[in-house]
Amino acid sequence: MGKIIDHIDDKLKVFDPIYRAEHGLGGQRDRYYDRTGVAKYREWRGVKDTMYDYTRWLINIMSMVKMVASAPIPIMKGFWEYRWMGSYLGTFLFIDRLFEGYRDQELRVAHLQMHAIVVNLTKRIAYILSHDRRLGASMEKSANLLPMDETLPAFFTTGFPDLYPVALQTLPEFIICDIDQHIEPYYIDVAESFGLPADVCSRCAAETGVALDDAFPIVGKAMITTNMPCNASEATSMFQRRRIGLPDYVASMSMIHNDEDTALPFDRKIMEETIAFIEEQYNTKWNWKAYFKAAKNFNEQNTYELEKWDYMKTGYTAEVGISETLYKLFEWQSVNGTDPYFNKVDRKVMKILRKCYENRYEPFGGKTRHRAFLWGPSAVYYTDFPTWCQNAWGLAIVLNMDSTMGFNMIDTEDPDRALDDLALLTTKACMRHMAVGGWDNINAVWEWAHNFNCDMVLMNDNIACKGMLGVHSIMEEQARDLGFHFIFIEHDLEDSRTVSRQNMRDCVNQYMSIVLGEEPLDPTIINFDDSEAY
Amino acid sequence: MKDLKHLIFFEDLLQDAHNELVQQAIDEGKRALGYNCYYVPEVLLNLDGCFSTRLRAPRCSSPDVATYYMTGRTCPYVRSILERAIEGGYNHLSCIFGSESCAAMERMEEQLYLLKPVKHDDFFVTIIDPPLKGDATNLEYYKTQIRKHMLKAMENVFGTDTSDAAMRRAIEKFNELCRVITEIGDMRKLPNPPITGYEFHVIQLVSEVCPHDLILPYLKETLEELKTREPEPEFPFRARVVLAGSEIDDPEFTKLLEMCGAMVVADRYCFGSLPSREEIEIRDGESAFDAICRHYLHWNQCARFMDGMKIDQRHNELLRLVKDYNADGIVYENMKFCEFWSYEKVLASHIATNENGIPCCTIEKEYALGSVGQLRTRFQAFVESLEIKKINAEGGV
Amino acid sequence: MDIKLVAKIIGKLGLFGFLGFVGTFSLYMFNGENKLIYYVIRPLLNKHYDSQVRDKRIV
Repeated sequence: MGKIIDHIDDKLKVFDPIYRAEHGLGGQRDRYYDRTGVAKYREWRGVKDTMYDYTRWLINIMSMVKMVASAPIPIMKGFWEYRWMGSYLGTFLFIDRLFEGYRDQELRVAHLQMHAIVVNLTKRIAYILSHDRRLGASMEKSANLLPMDETLPAFFTTGFPDLYPVALQTLPEFIICDIDQHIEPYYIDVAESFGLPADVCSRCAAETGVALDDAFPIVGKAMITTNMPCNASEATSMFQRRRIGLPDYVASMSMIHNDEDTALPFDRKIMEETIAFIEEQYNTKWNWKAYFKAAKNFNEQNTYELEKWDYMKTGYTAEVGISETLYKLFEWQSVNGTDPYFNKVDRKVMKILRKCYENRYEPFGGKTRHRAFLWGPSAVYYTDFPTWCQNAWGLAIVLNMDSTMGFNMIDTEDPDRALDDLALLTTKACMRHMAVGGWDNINAVWEWAHNFNCDMVLMNDNIACKGMLGVHSIMEEQARDLGFHFIFIEHDLEDSRTVSRQNMRDCVNQYMSIVLGEEPLDPTIINFDDSEAY
Repeated sequence: MKDLKHLIFFEDLLQDAHNELVQQAIDEGKRALGYNCYYVPEVLLNLDGCFSTRLRAPRCSSPDVATYYMTGRTCPYVRSILERAIEGGYNHLSCIFGSESCAAMERMEEQLYLLKPVKHDDFFVTIIDPPLKGDATNLEYYKTQIRKHMLKAMENVFGTDTSDAAMRRAIEKFNELCRVITEIGDMRKLPNPPITGYEFHVIQLVSEVCPHDLILPYLKETLEELKTREPEPEFPFRARVVLAGSEIDDPEFTKLLEMCGAMVVADRYCFGSLPSREEIEIRDGESAFDAICRHYLHWNQCARFMDGMKIDQRHNELLRLVKDYNADGIVYENMKFCEFWSYEKVLASHIATNENGIPCCTIEKEYALGSVGQLRTRFQAFVESLEIKKINAEGGV
Repeated sequence: MDIKLVAKIIGKLGLFGFLGFVGTFSLYMFNGENKLIYYVIRPLLNKHYDSQVRDKRIV
């Protein structure tokens, strides 16, 4: 069998874009219709990998069919009512984009993790839409849903097993912008039509637009907002609370949260008040048993994550690039401890990773030239940017800033210590633990990059992120002093009209070709127009 | 109206952060303590042996070096402050008490200790983490922040007396200043005030940037002068407006608005007197420190507050000012790149205009007064619309 | 059980399986579902979304 496969691989290798790029016959971009991001045919990765990719595609389709079958009418109504729902149809294009050029073990790890996200997300969409009062669900039916700000990790809600946490902005704003670069500009325009200046963070402008466009699902009896991660998200809460109109509690955590002797007691008190607010509004009781059970799941995931990091430091790993980032982000922010399927996937992935390390497995055929740490808030509309970096220049994104979110363990026996752990974990949430809240947070990049054996730091330069812009040149000067290759990647977070994907690619192209004098691995993806792609 | 006796002197004091009264106080052995934001209680910076000076960067039109460090896409106010620091304009300061009121401000304050541009022995910067809500939990947090990052530093580095008695003395002096400014400011409520918005803006600013002990006699004299000052025979402006928004520390901006025909009768912006010149009340059984923290958290109208109580408070306060000062409308300003006021401007103008029928003009500006032509056109159009509204209300054509 | 019947069932299952594989694999390989979504479904949906009268307001 192996021989037959080898024979077919040999015969069809001219269709493999990596082979084509290596032999000057073309590359990844040959497969695409101009500008659209739609491929004429899918990537030929050799028999084994193509069949693997095909089966994962089939399995993901089954998950989507299951989603529709579980709540056909609410799903159809959702498509009809919400513009952002239409963008979820781009999921398969999204997955293809993410894992372009992936082969062998990194492809397997990527798909295992992606499927966990697909399963969780499809269930989530079906559940939320079928409990959405805007789509006809009764107040009684949606009463056990707890809407909360997406940047507040859902972990603390595990103490309320009778409630279903809904990260409010995740469906209409965050994840969907990953999938479709054209969706958030619509909502940004809505916000700006009310007089909001264009220089505020586009993520928060989009959230505001969703609120003003009346496009949030309406669920639950009360909501939790938060000050995380930054100024604009604090400000946009004003619009959401008015438009959604539910009683709210503002879980305003400390911004300078490393000041542990003053910040930690305060953050803990905020968590206690948040819990008390939920108990009162939902007429329920905090359940330590359920919380400790979830904490065990969370700690298991956390332990795996730390072990993964050890492999990633060496380079002998199949946990790479966007596959790692997306999984960690979703797992930490939306799942943390609540979905045992993720623990199952983690165990499977760990088996692969251990084996990869034993066998000194090098991902991407060992073509990595540079190891880069990606710091700063990444462009949501260009999620596959790390994949492009690898395919175009052999530049491996070893770890992304978002993956360094809180990784402290949660005590599973002592409520007092567990609350401290919860507060600590919550303050070290996505973006705010690094991009704001004090110099030490952002300055940590050098230590991270050093520990992960990186020779390069890619600094996301979100043109509207006031926290990051304030240290712009100091970071550049430090990179020079410490001997890191350093590239600013200019972007506008969720508005691809301001800085296009090609503009972002050009930041890397120029550094790699002019400063380092290197040749691309795949010349077809250096300059191309994907402005009409999802 | 006859010119105010000290107006030119006051205007001169505003030309430089290191002005003659600041130098005089330093010569007398006092320490100059800089601050940027209302969250840093001014009164505490006036404990014995110290005096407060709120940081401005007058005449800073091109913050080139600061723009190199912070990019041209951040708040021009904080960039101008950093630029002035790099130019050596704050070398008289013993320290700066910063506040993480917004990311841009915090970054600027960090640059002050990373770049070390202020050349003064033992100069240091501390940054408090200010609360985002007005409830008891956040008040406690505010207290711990102020205690740790301000009082401890003052005790340890300067040997400042931070006892309850010392704070009570500071409050007493501070309240005296507030009474004078408030009495002057209240004159703007009159149908034909004996003071212009520009003059008041200058007076309020000198009270913030100069040592209180040294500026107070001039302010008292100005108050007496105003009591007998003859206003113009007829109200010389076409409309009365409340000016609200972020940092406005350039009186020329107020002058521009008034030259377009709208008197600024109430100053509800950072650097304004509403709030900042309310007297601090010490309740029975309350320590001076507790009273100060409670006072500042209560009166603070910053757009960064997130809880419903504080959001409603700041909107109601704006409506109260319109009523008390007989204003015809509101001019809402936000500094370019300011996230908080960009959002607040949209919401507050909606609440004022659509829910309360108060006309609003919203504008965005740089720190240094640029784009005067555009602003003038906006203001003139707004004043005209206010006039038309008045004519219509009076049953005119 | 009749061996012939079993063979027939297996044969039919195999045939359907094979046809299913050929169909889905062709759809997969030629990116059929994405072409349908991109060129047909989304333009129709966008037309619908653009014609929606949304209740846009601050409240």
